[in-house]
Amino acid sequence: MKANYLFPAGFKVPALFILIPSVIIGILLLTFNYEPELLNIRILSVIHNEFGDPISTFRIIENNVLNEIIMTLILVSAILVAFSKEKAEDEFIQKIRLESLVWSTYVNYAVLLLSIIFVYDITFLWVMVFNMFTLLIFFIIRFNFQVWKLNKTIADEE
Amino acid sequence: MKNNIKVERARKNITQAQLADLISVSRQTINAMEAGKYVPSTVIALRLSKIFGIEVSAIFELEPGD
Repeated sequence: MKANYLFPAGFKVPALFILIPSVIIGILLLTFNYEPELLNIRILSVIHNEFGDPISTFRIIENNVLNEIIMTLILVSAILVAFSKEKAEDEFIQKIRLESLVWSTYVNYAVLLLSIIFVYDITFLWVMVFNMFTLLIFFIIRFNFQVWKLNKTIADEE
Repeated sequence: MKNNIKVERARKNITQAQLADLISVSRQTINAMEAGKYVPSTVIALRLSKIFGIEVSAIFELEPGD
């Protein structure tokens, strides 16, 4: 009962304030392909493979790290928004949490499956980029919608 | 599964929110239980029994098919 692997409730709102701008910046970056000179730095690449070259490991390469920073921010904040406790996190809320997680996993992979069948080449690469985050995003939307619906039922009865 | 939480709550003259506090669950849980949408764990059933001062079997009742 005790180990529910969730973060404290206080993390949810601050994480949301990081998640929303990060997603907006992420989408803008993808759209305009913006790479500021300042963030071109030399970093360690564990596995590296440029076109035509054989695969090399543990090499220092130059890379623009803006997209890495944004993706890290999105991932960490989305995990915190998704898996921070509700203010009153009890067994019923956890049941809704589980159902939402199952639902969003189905939806996420249904979308991916359709993309595998109907989307090709470089466009499929875009699908994969989005698919890295959609499971969490679908879960956040679904779970919060379900909780909102419950609160609305209560409010309507008063 | 049927239950008469609503009736017992009315008898004690407390609101859903007050009952939620008494047995340390969310307001949503009380609401869902009263609506028959959620069957609580044994722990919550026993807490309800303690608060209402009656047997668990007097609060919850199996229905055909359970």
